[in-house]
Amino acid sequence: MENLVLGIGITALAGALATVAGAAEDTESDIGSQGDPNSQVQLAPQMGYIHRIYNKAVSGEPPAYGLWCALGAGIAWALMSIQINAVLAIVLGSAIAVFVQGVYATTAYLGRTASLAKFEQPVYIDIIKSVTTVTMAHAFVAIFTTVAMCQLMIVALGHPFPLPLLALVWGIALGAAGSATGNPFYGKERQYQEQKFGAGVPISASGNIVRYAEAGQRSSLDNGWFASKLGGPASGICFGLIVFLELWRTVLFEQIGAGWGAIIAGVVLILVFMVIDRYIETWARKTYGPYVAETEEAAS
Amino acid sequence: MSVKIEASEGGRPHNEILGFGLIGSLVCIYLTYLNVLTGTEIFSFFGGLGAVIALAWGSDTIKHLCSYGLGTGVPSAGMIAFGSGVIAMLFATKFGIAAPVAALVIAALLGAVIGYVSDKVVSMNIPVMVISLIELAIVGALTMMGLAAMAGGSFMFADLVAGSTTVFGIEIASYGSSVIGGSVLAVIFILGSIAVQHPFNACLGPGEQQDRTLMLAAECGFLSMIGVAVISFAFIGFGSAVVALLVSIIGWAYTYMEYIKLSRRDAYDWLDAKPIHEPKGGA
Amino acid sequence: MSALGGGAGGGEGMNPTATIVGLVIMLIALAATFVVGGMSAALVLVGIIIGGVLVGFGVHFVPVGGAPAAMGQAPGIATGVAMLAAGAGLAGLFGGAWAAELGLAVALAGGAVGGGLMMAITCMFVNIVYVFGMGIPSASGKVDKDPITGDTFPAYKSQGTEGHGLPFISYVGGVIGGALGGLGGTLIYLQLLFLYEEMLPAMLNASAEEILPVAVSLAGIFAIGMFLVNAVIAAYNITGTIEGPHDPKFKRFPRAIVGAAIASAVCGLVAILIVAV
Repeated sequence: MENLVLGIGITALAGALATVAGAAEDTESDIGSQGDPNSQVQLAPQMGYIHRIYNKAVSGEPPAYGLWCALGAGIAWALMSIQINAVLAIVLGSAIAVFVQGVYATTAYLGRTASLAKFEQPVYIDIIKSVTTVTMAHAFVAIFTTVAMCQLMIVALGHPFPLPLLALVWGIALGAAGSATGNPFYGKERQYQEQKFGAGVPISASGNIVRYAEAGQRSSLDNGWFASKLGGPASGICFGLIVFLELWRTVLFEQIGAGWGAIIAGVVLILVFMVIDRYIETWARKTYGPYVAETEEAAS
Repeated sequence: MSVKIEASEGGRPHNEILGFGLIGSLVCIYLTYLNVLTGTEIFSFFGGLGAVIALAWGSDTIKHLCSYGLGTGVPSAGMIAFGSGVIAMLFATKFGIAAPVAALVIAALLGAVIGYVSDKVVSMNIPVMVISLIELAIVGALTMMGLAAMAGGSFMFADLVAGSTTVFGIEIASYGSSVIGGSVLAVIFILGSIAVQHPFNACLGPGEQQDRTLMLAAECGFLSMIGVAVISFAFIGFGSAVVALLVSIIGWAYTYMEYIKLSRRDAYDWLDAKPIHEPKGGA
Repeated sequence: MSALGGGAGGGEGMNPTATIVGLVIMLIALAATFVVGGMSAALVLVGIIIGGVLVGFGVHFVPVGGAPAAMGQAPGIATGVAMLAAGAGLAGLFGGAWAAELGLAVALAGGAVGGGLMMAITCMFVNIVYVFGMGIPSASGKVDKDPITGDTFPAYKSQGTEGHGLPFISYVGGVIGGALGGLGGTLIYLQLLFLYEEMLPAMLNASAEEILPVAVSLAGIFAIGMFLVNAVIAAYNITGTIEGPHDPKFKRFPRAIVGAAIASAVCGLVAILIVAV
């Protein structure tokens, strides 16, 4: 019984850490402009829209976060194996991983922007100074929480994977969850906020991203507060739920039916989410309605 | 709407870079064997230098492959390179002193099969697919072997699985605290696969220049070396790890500065705290 | 993934010569494993091939829209297909590896459920952001009617786009894809783990308990490597984006299955040789 209570406590803590990690991850990637929405930042100068937006084309978020988390975990593991305290080791590991992240971010901005010289897009070095540090700060939060969560899973829950391997797995999952949830919100709602609300961006408008702010010119830093309105928290809850429920179903139900209890619990959870998703989908159809009259479409 | 991948023409021919990369990385990885010959661990950092050379070669290969348009991002090429490279490299470590050459041969075989599958079975129909994936698999295997040798001081399986841990002040042998048993390979795997795709991914565009991309490849290599050098404190002696760390930091600082200079050379303009520059034609 | 570049991938249909050549390579790999390691090793390789095929097949179910999806210009999840599948498959591998000591069946089911659950949550949040954050209902661009729910799409597609969001069929596809990825990844991992647990003690002259971390690490890194190889081959097959099982591109899956089987056979052979020689 005591074991179970401890397990549930660890599960909750890991879920909380994952929630913070997800929120920080998405905010970081939106400030730096990483992943699929970045294709528009890349495209804009070619369409004649010179801008002052960061261009952090490191790679998609899943492999990038796989690297930051695995590197942080690898260094933390190495420091722990030479008898350095675990918390200190994870902080140091995350710090070095964030250094690597920052260097990658600056080289990506310089490289992509310099290659756009033909379209008269200059390099604004003040952007590097102001934005890189902010993405690094957010990345540190994401890396530290993920590595700490992995360490908990190994030490307290007894997962067989060594720390770096586990961090690689969860880092990739973190990037996948964060980019899937957060990318449309940044890509459509923020970059194209002048386009009609409640509709996709027409393909003809591609490249015409918003370059001016309420006052002055848009800086990527402004995307931080925008991401933290919905994209960041949603990514956080998404990743938090993934980690929490994955652990919860195992910790609580694995003893039932020689392990099958956890499987059944997982299947039930999947069905529950499927029903919620279907409800959201039909709610949107009913509430928002079609863009053009349905009958006309059906006839054509 | 996606952006067309564009890359510069000209520069050094790819075959020249291939030859230099292949021989250079093999020689550097073999130089770590001086550890065994001299009974020290001070030469471990040569493994990292081998990885740097291999990564530069690999980034040029990726540029060749990706200018055909893969339909998915440039990073996928790095993933497939190291996915096959890690398998080849681990098996190759079993061949003792012949390990680097074995890694080359096995990776070439694996790359050939995967390249054939991608090109013909999956019908990508890209002329350079097979040769590119062979090259990338070799790059993946040699990079991993180099960085693993840098972390653990040796490229042989028996050394890579053996580790020691201290319990209450007493050294005991433990497989869990070795390069392989601790999954340090997972870190090296992802370090390499990002480092090999990043140079071209970050520099692509109509103004891409080969010297800038290759300089960035070297920078990514040295940056990866810094991480591995810190990890190597767990496996090799303190002095040797410090030497490796110093070499990495000096190499990184130099290449980073050079890369910034080259970016400044190629950029349209280099502005500090200036407003948006509207092109003459207007938007 | 910053999905730059247009697809150059070929059209539909299989290349018969290449398929036969590939299958011969696969049989050679199987035969070589049998000669070197006997029947048990050959069975391990069969397991790895099945696992690789499941991964390659599963990727085709995952609805990925790439860069256009981030602008609400195309349906699907706005990220790279290989990496999204990897995220789900590796989350499944986490669960499968955890349940390894409970036996093959439970561990495999655990891997599948873990991958499916990851995708179920992620896909739901994609729709939450689309509906509540951007006010956009789901609409498929490739079909007029959802094959499961019967919802009609053309009227719900905003002007100048190819559809947006995740219709229910894509949602189901995502869950199936995640489950197949988790199942395949876990199968590769378990096959290698059991083999290494059996062979490594004799090879290294150590007890089974001592070599466990080495066995777990080797099997884990091999499983991730093979997972990525198969996922990228499948991603090449669908040239980057797909809407799910209703997408016409889905019909290309036999090519990826053959491709994944060949690649897994050769990679698996090498992974087995590490303990067999």
